[in-house]
Amino acid sequence: MSPQHGSQPIQHQFNPYSDNGGTLLGIAGEDFAILASDTRQSVDYSINTRLSHKIKVISPPVTKEMKLESTDIVGTKNSVLFGTNGFSADGDALTKAFEENWKWYVHDQNSNVETGFEFLNENNEEKESFMSMQSAARNVQHLLYGKRFFPYYVHTILAGLDEEGKGCVYSFDPVGSYEREQCRVGGAGASLIMPFLDNQVNFKNQYIPGTNSTERRKIEYLSLDECLKLVKDAFTSVTERHITVGDGLEIFIIDKNGVRSEYHALKKD
Amino acid sequence: MLSEFADKLQQNENVLQREAFGNDFKGMDNLAGNNKFQKLAPTIEMAPVSNPAEFLRAHTDDSKNPDCAIKIAHGTTTLAFRFQGGIIVAVDSRATAGQWIASQTVNKVIRINPFLLGTLAGGAADCQYWETWLGTQCRLYELRNKERITVAAASKILGNLVYEYKGAGLSMGTMVCGYTKKEGPSIYYVDSDGTRLKGDLFCVGSGQTFAYGVLDSNYKWDLSVEEALYLGKRSILAAAHRDAYSGGSINLYHVTENGWIYHGNHDVDKIFWETKESEKSFNNVIG
Amino acid sequence: MSQQDPSTINGGIVVAMTGKDCVAIACDLRLGSQSLGVANNFEKIHQYGKVFIGFTGLATDALTLSADLKYKHNLYKLKENRGIQPEVFANLISSTLYEKRFGPYFSTPVVAGLSEKTGEPYVAGFDCIGCIDAARDFIVAGTASDQLFGMCEALYEPNLESEDLFETISQALLNAADRDAISGWGAAVYMITKDKVTKTYLKTRQD
Repeated sequence: MSPQHGSQPIQHQFNPYSDNGGTLLGIAGEDFAILASDTRQSVDYSINTRLSHKIKVISPPVTKEMKLESTDIVGTKNSVLFGTNGFSADGDALTKAFEENWKWYVHDQNSNVETGFEFLNENNEEKESFMSMQSAARNVQHLLYGKRFFPYYVHTILAGLDEEGKGCVYSFDPVGSYEREQCRVGGAGASLIMPFLDNQVNFKNQYIPGTNSTERRKIEYLSLDECLKLVKDAFTSVTERHITVGDGLEIFIIDKNGVRSEYHALKKD
Repeated sequence: MLSEFADKLQQNENVLQREAFGNDFKGMDNLAGNNKFQKLAPTIEMAPVSNPAEFLRAHTDDSKNPDCAIKIAHGTTTLAFRFQGGIIVAVDSRATAGQWIASQTVNKVIRINPFLLGTLAGGAADCQYWETWLGTQCRLYELRNKERITVAAASKILGNLVYEYKGAGLSMGTMVCGYTKKEGPSIYYVDSDGTRLKGDLFCVGSGQTFAYGVLDSNYKWDLSVEEALYLGKRSILAAAHRDAYSGGSINLYHVTENGWIYHGNHDVDKIFWETKESEKSFNNVIG
Repeated sequence: MSQQDPSTINGGIVVAMTGKDCVAIACDLRLGSQSLGVANNFEKIHQYGKVFIGFTGLATDALTLSADLKYKHNLYKLKENRGIQPEVFANLISSTLYEKRFGPYFSTPVVAGLSEKTGEPYVAGFDCIGCIDAARDFIVAGTASDQLFGMCEALYEPNLESEDLFETISQALLNAADRDAISGWGAAVYMITKDKVTKTYLKTRQD
């Protein structure tokens, strides 16, 4: 083939995606859930910002009484912690779309039932209701699958409390397949942290000493302090070995008292 | 209450989702607020390019482009077979994205209703989404016709749906399994090419050949329920062992004239060593 | 299908760690052909005197390379009339790999051993053209190297006694392999101390 210039048409490809790196991690406890992420946003070898937010707390209004009890409350126990990782523009768009759905849904739930459907609310309950995690997850599936042929380039993780008040984490692939799990890591550091969590949260490959690897260590819920320790360990580890992870660690914790957040510095190199 | 609800549905043209197919919602696109959530399926957006299917392939098909940005979960072994006592359905629970094991706890049997099961192989989202959607279609059928949908009709709704999307890039290989008075126990294989086959025995997924090997050599119509459940589980175990993209745990179902019965989740790590010990099999493995 | 990556056809992993007066090296036992598991007794660690080397990557190249190094190690012993030091072996591997700079072996070796004079533990890794990475803590290689990096970075601490080092390297290997479709199917761990070497097979998942 001759290397003559312009002899062959050059095919240009439409590429609307970029990878903004970072890592997102969710752990469900017995009566709490954690969603954490680093705060670096990068593209290729450049850092766009050292303080970006990949997690949005989608919450009913926080009342004054709640603020009085604890000043650092950023959401109620009915919140959905919504985290996206991957292409941040898609992540922001998805978060916005879900937030709108969430608002309309809560509005609909608490307004009078449409004419002709009164029988659905026979008891005429006045109790204020919100969006269950189960419903939130199903709605996110529909949002993601709605772009099945032009996907959002994101890994999504939801954390919150289920209808029994138990901690829950839902994770999604880019086109909406989802699963409720005990823990999940998404994004650039997933392959580094996920085996660590298998080992430390679900006690994989752990046996009771003296049983000659016949009796497995029983799975039990970890305390909040133990989970937070794991999260911090996981992020400091992955910061050492992954170039797109670092700068800061933002942790959101949801329990029966509401949502609070923590910030810890990570290495900035 | 249910029949009342059915009547209401029929009166409310505006709310009722009549179309059998998911992407035809003209006039419902601008819904906001009050009835935003009445849609059973969203309109699916395409990339604004001349060949959206090619675009999708370039960005999501890791067999064509290993460096593609969006890796969609794949890889599976699923099986279903008919026998004297009904139908056995057995599946593994591993999801892989390339060689990365994304999950060991995927639920690959969708409970469409108490009499219908759908298995999941190929694109996890495609199967999960459209089989849940199939569940809503089957429920609507029940409400309209006051009788349960046949397995033939249910599988055809799914078959027609995927045929509508032929070439667009869906990836699914599924078995719709169920029991009705009219048909007896029946299995339909439906895939994203549009194939729809009725049959007695199918294995689907990356580990299908390994499962067929065990299943074919031990299958008889006269199997007892216990034997059949064991054979289903054992066939998936063989595939989980040899196929890198299958594993995790095994989910087992038995479909009878009274609907399906769940026969538990079996961790491969545990049952592998148990099977090796009791059968004196898997002698290729030391320990 | 597009050209496949030779270093991920067969699958497999190796990890090495340093401890207090001891060093450990471990590997999985799978040899596959893409998704098909072919053998579960493919040991990736070879012994050269008191030096241990694990080879990951394309199996045919790993075998060729290990045989070539055995030949060179034998010649060294004949010429020098003494065993080879791990540092020296690392340099020998480096030059052997660089000889194939423009048509490399698709294998990344890992060296582990104790320095005879000082008794110091030594581990080193390479890229496929011979760049030495002589780490103080641990070296990982193979198709689940990301998973191993995460496990090691989180579990490792310096100066572990041999029993604790054994547990650490085993957990790192096992949990990393369980997140890789083409690694696992058995594992072997070598624990090297001044006066003895122990080899242990681990019970692993078989899927």
